[in-house]
Amino acid sequence: MLSALLFSMGAAAQRTGFLDHLRIGFGAGANMAHIIDLEPYNIYEDLTGETYLNSYSGFAQNIGNQYFIQIEWFNQFLVANLKPGTYSYRFSKFNEVVFTNETIEEEVTYLLRYLSVPLEVRYNIDLQRFRPYAGISVSYSHLLGSNDPVNRTFIRPRFSAGLVAGTYIDLRYVILDLNAGYLSGLHNVASKQERFETGSGATFAQDDLLLNNLQFSLSILFSLQKQRNYSNVECFY
Amino acid sequence: MKKVIENIVRCCLFSMLVFLHESCEINQKEVMPEDGFLKIYNHPEERLSFYPESIIELTGGGYLILSAVKDEESEIEYPTTNLVRTNSGGEVEWSNSLDWLAPSATLFHSGNQIGFVAMNQQFEAHVILVDPANGEIAATHPLVVTMPLVAKKDRQGNLVVLGYDFVTRSSWIASYSDNFILQRSNQLSVNTDLEYLVQRHLNKTGQDFPFFIKEYQTPDGNGYCVNCFYNYTLRGVFLDEASLGTTGDIYSFQIEEGISSLEHKSGSRFGITSYYEGNNYLLPDVDIDVSVSQNIKDLPGNPLYELTFKAAVCSGRISTETAEYTLFISQTNSSSLVIYQVEQESDSLVMTHYQSFDERVEVADFIQTADGGISILAGIHILGKYRRPVVVKMPEEQFIPEE
Repeated sequence: MLSALLFSMGAAAQRTGFLDHLRIGFGAGANMAHIIDLEPYNIYEDLTGETYLNSYSGFAQNIGNQYFIQIEWFNQFLVANLKPGTYSYRFSKFNEVVFTNETIEEEVTYLLRYLSVPLEVRYNIDLQRFRPYAGISVSYSHLLGSNDPVNRTFIRPRFSAGLVAGTYIDLRYVILDLNAGYLSGLHNVASKQERFETGSGATFAQDDLLLNNLQFSLSILFSLQKQRNYSNVECFY
Repeated sequence: MKKVIENIVRCCLFSMLVFLHESCEINQKEVMPEDGFLKIYNHPEERLSFYPESIIELTGGGYLILSAVKDEESEIEYPTTNLVRTNSGGEVEWSNSLDWLAPSATLFHSGNQIGFVAMNQQFEAHVILVDPANGEIAATHPLVVTMPLVAKKDRQGNLVVLGYDFVTRSSWIASYSDNFILQRSNQLSVNTDLEYLVQRHLNKTGQDFPFFIKEYQTPDGNGYCVNCFYNYTLRGVFLDEASLGTTGDIYSFQIEEGISSLEHKSGSRFGITSYYEGNNYLLPDVDIDVSVSQNIKDLPGNPLYELTFKAAVCSGRISTETAEYTLFISQTNSSSLVIYQVEQESDSLVMTHYQSFDERVEVADFIQTADGGISILAGIHILGKYRRPVVVKMPEEQFIPEE
């Protein structure tokens, strides 16, 4: 889909000056997964009526990463971009089994790698070198395969949406894009049919989850338009 | 420019198709928690060991689970009774402990109540009827049998009980009407004193013998196959339904070998699992003359090397939308529950299902549920130490072979 879009744009670019409004680059960053437990499914049932701890690691402990290419079309105020790439999320689940003289805590770590195509629309203000912006983002993701059997307890597709903010820093020949965004999952990502297929242990069942995330990225963009003359070097002409 | 717009429209259409396809996977509203689940029922007391015996589906939905509970600090050596009621998703609604000893499979419906057979401290068997709403005892009825080993409600609603009479050293089979009045009984002489082994079986300190009662209907008559001690050995004894008189049997070497499960198919055809010479065997379709005595080794069997030593096996029939099957459920040396699915019509093994665990498991019972799936009751050693009941519910779709 992306290549078809680029092909279309490229073909028309020569006639319409489209290339003058195109920036291409790449980026990377870190993210923090924010897990919302929609409905817990504990594998253990206590015969005395106790409930066992069933929780997820905190926001700050769930550090993942993302790598992507970035393609932008812009005009004076608006920017539309695509950031296809791999987005990995890490988090842990903690389960307790309680006995009179001992309490066993089990930790299961997750690494979910998605191939994602976020689409962002940004409104930016031109402050010469800096161009701060804010906008919205919607994203389609597809979960990549893994040898970890826990991976089977998730459905493949994932849609998310959220807000982004940041700033462009124009360094004349390259443009940096400092970006932060919070994306909320739009649906449960656990597979209801496979929630008990957590591996040979079968020591826990997959809860219904929303996978939200806060992400920070730095991109390097190459503008295809003629550079503007406002940098310090230009002052000496 | 027109071409660009065309390409963009194509891209949008393709994206919509992808979106629609993915939406199908996201929409999981048809999958309900009660369709399939796995639940381990833990009690925090480390000194308790749970030996699951039987599971039954309740009329209004949900399950009742019967376990024998051995308390290592108890002065009574025999296990007491524990009942757990769950909802249809396997979540506990109540749990109740009773003083009746050594409850023996199987749970059965009796009007609005659920019954099972257990014994008092004098080894006298009783029927105990409980209210499924709260687990309280509604009524008890004494049975003439002692040391009850297994019980079954037959097609006519009669209760058939196998016990052991330590005075006459014989296996004791008795049939009761639906209001628990003795109809007939028969004592099969063991000819040797096996009381100690039976005691160890009942108090869960010795070998767990595969006692069972199954029904069969042949053109020559209906009857029961009772796996019990008889004439020095562990035998599958065929009894006439009307008189409880023996007609034939399948014997093996003393009590070290025998049949672990049996299911009647049609006419003289049976499905059997057995163990001898250190191996387990599956005989999915064998011809058995119920009027003669024959050696288990004369029946051709397929070795099942993956099963545990002298593996416990539960067998039964299920019906799916497409066909009828016989299931043989057991456990492997690698801590998995295994289900051998044999098609009734073709007598062929069509599927083998595995459910893996980290810890040792042992199957106790299974039922086909009202929604067409099956619920398996097994014992699992949590953390490799504490024996507790586990229920695995599997949906019907898993038992329908793909074309």
